[in-house]
Amino acid sequence: MKAISAFINGLWKENPTFRLVLGMCPTLAVTNAAANGVSMGLATTFVLVGSNIMVSALKKVIPDEVRIPAYVIIIATFVTIADLVLAAFFPEMYKVLGLFIPLIVVNCIILARAEAFAAKNGIGKSALDGLGMGLGFTWALTFLGIIREILGMGSVFGIKLFGEGFVSWIIFILPPGAFLTLGLILGLFNAMLSDKKKAKCN
Amino acid sequence: MKNLTAKLIIVLALISIGSGFFLALTYTYTISHIEANAATEQEAAILETLPGAVGFEEISGTDFLMYKGLDANGGEAGFAYVAEGGGFQGVITLMVGVDPEQEMVTGIKILSHSETPGLGARIGEAAFQDQFAQKPINDSFEVNGDVDGVTGATVSSKAVAVTLKQTLPQALEQYRVSGGAK
Repeated sequence: MKAISAFINGLWKENPTFRLVLGMCPTLAVTNAAANGVSMGLATTFVLVGSNIMVSALKKVIPDEVRIPAYVIIIATFVTIADLVLAAFFPEMYKVLGLFIPLIVVNCIILARAEAFAAKNGIGKSALDGLGMGLGFTWALTFLGIIREILGMGSVFGIKLFGEGFVSWIIFILPPGAFLTLGLILGLFNAMLSDKKKAKCN
Repeated sequence: MKNLTAKLIIVLALISIGSGFFLALTYTYTISHIEANAATEQEAAILETLPGAVGFEEISGTDFLMYKGLDANGGEAGFAYVAEGGGFQGVITLMVGVDPEQEMVTGIKILSHSETPGLGARIGEAAFQDQFAQKPINDSFEVNGDVDGVTGATVSSKAVAVTLKQTLPQALEQYRVSGGAK
């Protein structure tokens, strides 16, 4: 596989949220505003790139028997670094996301990429894979966040879109709104991609 | 077999040591910023809830974290205390400014909470917090009576109002006993 396709893969064809349906816990939890989606996505990207690089660099040293605990230590280290850096330099964002940052440890995208990609590929490619997957996760979370924020609060990135008369659809920023939005978008993606397959067959 | 076990232990131990090293580095680098952030926030909250105060000093011997506001001439400018109450999902911590002479709230500021972002979290917005200024200490603090709750977040709004109602008389009394007499 070419290096560039390792990067693009995660953005669209194997988008972690819309195609692989991985990492649903943070996806559902933080996407009630666009800005939350962006920052959660970027924090996850940092952890993904870091852990992919480390796993790839250490793949010959780590015995198969203990690879999962080894990966978890590596991932947890990067998550804690992200947590501390956010708390130190972005306190406002940390207040909103604080609860979810430590949960990046259990985000299955990260362990999945370590196991499925970084453990088998070189450092450069693994870094690109992490970056692609991370940015794919970021745009997916931001996209969900934008839709839910518009419907639930009538704003995007905190900027009001409508006049005073707008009655916000509060359910969209509550948990049910996450399921509704994600479900409809997943359906849309499947419909789009299965149409393409049919066209190819014809 | 024995060699393999030894190898597993050594590799995991080395990875953990490496991880500990990087974490220690990050921690020493960020901790001063994190502490400074918390201190700045606390300080800003005290001054914000005590109009007229330019400085403050901590009062000891009370059940609350309590601060006496000082005006430009070193005189007393009310007191502020940290109150805690149960919210929708976790503890809500707030700074409350009080004018003990007029027995009136001078301002409140939410310090931390874990309410639903975008919903209960809007108790952190000025529109909600500002309405508590000028309220008398024996106010009824009835949500949708004399307190306008945040739309769709009645539980969070009530939590703040109830916390105030429960802690205000106690805080005032303790201030008079241990702080105000000085």
